[in-house]
Amino acid sequence: MNLNRTSAYFVLHAKSYMRSRSALFFQLAFPIILILLFGAIFSGSSYSPSTLIVQNESPSVASWGVVNAINESGLFKVHVIPENENLTKYITNNSVEAALLIPSNFTTNIYSGGKGYIMLEGHSNPTVASVDYQTLNGIFTEINFRSSNTTQKLVLSSQIAIGNTGKTINYYVPGLIGFTVLSTMFNMVYTVPNYRREKLFRQLSFSGLTKSEWITANMMFSFLMLILSDVILVAIGIYVFGASLVLNIQTILTSALIIFGGLFFFTSVGILAGLVSDNEETVSVVGNLVMFPMMFLSGVFFPLTFAPAYLVTISKFLPLTYFINSLISVLDYGNISSVALQILWLLLGSAILFIIAVTLFSWKQK
Amino acid sequence: MSENVIKVSNLVKSYSDVRAVDGISFSIERGEVFSILGPNGAGKTTTVEILEGVRNRTSGDVQVLGQDPEKSRSLVFKVGILPQDFSFVYNSTPKEALDFYKGTLRASSDLHEILEMVELEDKSSTPFQKLSGGQKQKLGLALSLVNNPEILFLDEPTSGLDPRARRNIWKVIKGLKDAGKSILLTTHYLEEAELLADRVAIMNKGKIIDSGRPMEIVERHHEDDNLIIRGDGEVERLLTAGGFLFHREGAYLKINLKSIKDATEIINYLYERKAAFEDFTLKRESLEDVFVRMIGAIEEDESE
Ligand SMILES: Nc1ncnc2c1ncn2[C@@H]1O[C@H](COP(=O)(O)OP(=O)(O)O)[C@@H](O)[C@H]1O
Ligand SMILES: [Mg+2]
Repeated sequence: MNLNRTSAYFVLHAKSYMRSRSALFFQLAFPIILILLFGAIFSGSSYSPSTLIVQNESPSVASWGVVNAINESGLFKVHVIPENENLTKYITNNSVEAALLIPSNFTTNIYSGGKGYIMLEGHSNPTVASVDYQTLNGIFTEINFRSSNTTQKLVLSSQIAIGNTGKTINYYVPGLIGFTVLSTMFNMVYTVPNYRREKLFRQLSFSGLTKSEWITANMMFSFLMLILSDVILVAIGIYVFGASLVLNIQTILTSALIIFGGLFFFTSVGILAGLVSDNEETVSVVGNLVMFPMMFLSGVFFPLTFAPAYLVTISKFLPLTYFINSLISVLDYGNISSVALQILWLLLGSAILFIIAVTLFSWKQK
Repeated sequence: MSENVIKVSNLVKSYSDVRAVDGISFSIERGEVFSILGPNGAGKTTTVEILEGVRNRTSGDVQVLGQDPEKSRSLVFKVGILPQDFSFVYNSTPKEALDFYKGTLRASSDLHEILEMVELEDKSSTPFQKLSGGQKQKLGLALSLVNNPEILFLDEPTSGLDPRARRNIWKVIKGLKDAGKSILLTTHYLEEAELLADRVAIMNKGKIIDSGRPMEIVERHHEDDNLIIRGDGEVERLLTAGGFLFHREGAYLKINLKSIKDATEIINYLYERKAAFEDFTLKRESLEDVFVRMIGAIEEDESE
């Protein structure tokens, strides 16, 4: 590794990149368009307290404590209905949007060290439903945090924690940051087969440049561009749509670390995809096959709280899910410690994948 | 005694199904332009790329500036390479490309001088993809010169260029030759080899068929000169009677000449006997004919 050569290539790459309108569009303009779009669509659903119908079939100190916490959060106007009421009928008759059922086994489960399940029912509009769901989940997460007994858990779903104010935009900022990290994969997906076909690696090797220097320069540049586009995303989120994120030196550095890990991860995936074939079209199909499911199933564009269980299961195998969840936890909650281990695994996994990709990636001709 | 900058002996390169280079040997002296002349698929690029260190060989010995290119990465800093199908980073300008090379090679060369030498000053800020074929090749040449190399590898530098662009490149190569560079030039254009090379190796199907100064090769391989006339059976009868060697090609008779002077003798002979002949031309083989025939002959041998 020679710093001199790496920076010489960095400059060459940066200048040619700046001249490419499509590259700039996808790197900078596209995420901005997406956040403006999402922000505009969901700005109406930013949280004003809505009525939450609660039916408690398991009256106890624990269950009423939960109901109380929901009420005190100010995020819902809690309206309790009697135990003997038929909830399903009540929902239909009163066009209830959100009703919470604390089932009869709740208290027993909690006191026997198990998990207390709570059901959210009665929604017609999936967006509202998902926002309510997230909000409740957020409240429960906080209750879980506060409770000293760690085995005592309230579970709505284990999927996603949500922002401190329950605003949708808080969710989309980390999601779109995840999207920008994911799309760096395409730098490699297009570049590797193209450079191989055009014999540009051979040409670059004549300058004394090595493949590690090439990859390093590329990643350094991608990282700068990522930081740039993500700063813009955060700024728009905050100043245009009033997102409330926890920004301090720790959360910013941790987010940068997560982004850096993501860059390693997706650059490696891009290199590996690029090695599959010399044909850019084939590779871009492969790339899109990886990217699109990942984008939708990792919760970039919408939370998976109401997705069928099998999709949620799939999402658990998608690395992007963890990048986004870590970012949500850090940026929306300022909660670093609970995802520290997860971040460590991400970095470790990315490093291993990166080593594999770099080893398989050869500039020499057969 | 002049020093060899490149030495190749019994070089072999096999791909899974072909022996692309089949036991060739040659050496190149300092300051010499050496050309490998051969048709497509002869094994020229494979040979050059082995010398450049881009490919590994199957067997044989190779030395470039006393080093084995397979093992010595530092060779890149001492040689200049214009590969076949030269291409560069999309959206990069010649100026940026040269700056990059200068940075990586830690060269002290004057980039403006190089741009001038290859006549590319006015295109120094044009993105690569907007350059013409000839201009691209000139950029490739310019890049190969940044480290002021002792040896230049030029692999088919003018293939696919129009005649004017080709002449332009030739001019630049001649300049480099005059500047004392050792050059390994591959080409399938005979004219190019004849014009630029001190010595030529004719390569076909992985083997060097012959090598030497271009004129030496013609001397060794050219067929006798011919006198070609248009004539009927009567002329044919007279030639047989006169003991001349000839054969018919359509309406024409192709008469073999031991010496070019024999031509007048034959014409006089026919004229005196009032033979009806016309359209006479003298035909001498060029290096091109020799080359085409040598390559053709080998191919016929193979097909037997
Ligand atoms: N990477 C490769 N794999 C298999 N065969 C190859 C490869 N590169 C070249 N060849 C074969 O080797 C022979 C020589 O090719 P090459 O050296 O490119 O010839 P030239 O440069 O004289 O046109 C050809 O038959 C070609 O098809
Ligand atoms: Mg070739």
